[in-house]
Amino acid sequence: MSSQPKAPQQALPTPIGVGILGAGPVTQAIHLPSLARLGEILTVRHIMDVDPAVAESVAARVGAAHSTSIDALLGDPAVEIVAICSPHQFHAEQVIAACRAGKKAVLCEKPFAMNAEEAAQISAVSQETGVPIIVGAMHTFDPGWLAAQENWDDLPETAHTIRSSIVLPPNARFEDFATEVITRPASGTPDYTDPEVIKGALRGGVMGLAIHDLPLIRRFTPDFKDIEVLEARHVRPFGYVISLRTPTRTIELRAAMNNTWKPEWSFEAFSDDAALRIDFTPSYVQAGSAVAAFTRGSQTTVHGPFDHNGYEGEWRELAALAAGTKQPPSAQTLIDDLTFALDIADATVANVESRHAVAEGAHA
Amino acid sequence: MNAGAEFTQYTVRATPEAQEAGAVALAVASLPESFGPAADGNHADVQVIAGRPGWTAQAVEAIAAGARGLVVVNPSPENVDSLAEAAARHNTVVVLDQRWASNPAINGAEDAVRSQAGRAAVLDTVATAPVGTDSGGLLADHLAAVVRIAGPLANLRLLNRGLHGYITTAVLANGAPVALQGVVSNARPAALDFRLLTDDGGVSVTLPEPVAAWPATVTVTGPQGELLLPTIYESAHRATWRRLKEHLDAGTIPSDLHRFAALTESITALT
Repeated sequence: MSSQPKAPQQALPTPIGVGILGAGPVTQAIHLPSLARLGEILTVRHIMDVDPAVAESVAARVGAAHSTSIDALLGDPAVEIVAICSPHQFHAEQVIAACRAGKKAVLCEKPFAMNAEEAAQISAVSQETGVPIIVGAMHTFDPGWLAAQENWDDLPETAHTIRSSIVLPPNARFEDFATEVITRPASGTPDYTDPEVIKGALRGGVMGLAIHDLPLIRRFTPDFKDIEVLEARHVRPFGYVISLRTPTRTIELRAAMNNTWKPEWSFEAFSDDAALRIDFTPSYVQAGSAVAAFTRGSQTTVHGPFDHNGYEGEWRELAALAAGTKQPPSAQTLIDDLTFALDIADATVANVESRHAVAEGAHA
Repeated sequence: MNAGAEFTQYTVRATPEAQEAGAVALAVASLPESFGPAADGNHADVQVIAGRPGWTAQAVEAIAAGARGLVVVNPSPENVDSLAEAAARHNTVVVLDQRWASNPAINGAEDAVRSQAGRAAVLDTVATAPVGTDSGGLLADHLAAVVRIAGPLANLRLLNRGLHGYITTAVLANGAPVALQGVVSNARPAALDFRLLTDDGGVSVTLPEPVAAWPATVTVTGPQGELLLPTIYESAHRATWRRLKEHLDAGTIPSDLHRFAALTESITALT
């Protein structure tokens, strides 16, 4: 990238330094391309990965320092915002370390903790240190979702039916549209006859895929704490059909990751007289925002598309948080989003276990 | 029409309820060579009745009174054994005018879906209907169309049912999960959405209400791209009348009652 100095009318503020923990495909194909669009406000200063060759290679793409240790990244004074893109089990510990290191803001990929206790610890540390945290639920930062929020009137209170539907090609298809990925995680061939494999796949489906839209669903489910799984089923090779209800809502979750070229990622909410449908663009590609459509009988109002997606929205939010021009989301919101996802994941696994037990009993 | 060609016009009489529910006057007017209203007091070749509970007894009476053809609009689930027997005995053509299952796009959808069903990964289908719709009736209409397109469903079970709709679960022959959801809301025009996903594509079907000749859409997605089957600007009502005419002319018996018996059995087992 050329960097010919310009003679600005006024001095531009120095871009805020970013450090990224974990340099896998998400960092390479999502965060770096998003940050490349925001060069005037954010700049990558440090890339950490446990694989030194990956850390070096990815850092070289953006002219950043590289390391294999968290301490090195957190100790780098050029890093003002930390993005945590490591495997799930490290998230809580790393978020806490980033807050303690006195950074200006932290982005943690979802889920930001593996249980409610970890979430409460993170919240306490964030409050104590004053470091704002956001979780990478990118759709909540998508301008299409934000436009819907401004126009949905009382729909979150009056909706009775909610649907989340996700059909995705293999990630690699879209990663390759976004960048040149090095090192992809190996994938195996699961044994679908093993109930433990199915349980693991469903838990992974909720915590790795459904979780993208569970904050949206929770926004339309005031009684989210009373969630009940009616039935959870696995979709081969990876996906789920999960039917849920609360005392006031019916919620359907659908996902299928297969070899199709045609993605679909939608969120729908229905009340007696209004419906909202949001169609999100696929992750990885810079294909603009979601489109939100409200339908009330024969009248449809459409919002979007806008020129950037939720990932870029996340980074814009982080820049504003680091600059102190915006307030962070409440810690309770993050905790509630997490516990909602964990409750669904646990109840999903329990549903599969109980069905399996019944089937075993029938064969005994 | 060529001068001198032979054609048969069948006279029609509908109960007031059926007349409205089946938009009979409009359908008959759109097939003027084939059908026409019966004059007052005269016997009608074709009787049209509404499919409210007890319709099978009414249908048997109409057959006994000499109807050559019978159209039943929106039949509710009911045992059709006696009716089928009476229809066979009198060689009466009984066709069912179902809001979605009678849509003329169903044939193309059925071919597209059945050729891919062995590779199905999941079938997700949603029926939407206005507030005030009985969710049991909606489920019957929904299931009639889904079974028509996809074939029989196994392990059919109702998970949830209320004022706002229902969730029903089943599996396809290859074990792939099926989810049928009913949503009762005025937010969108009533319609049926059907999506079968396979390992590399699938078939998507949307069926509109028969109040207008809105075309259904059938889209087949595969590795090579996407194909929209030719759109048919004909309502389920009119398609039903065309079928009736074909059977009357040919003297054949349609499979409507046979299919409906299986549907009734499924619905009865559910509730």
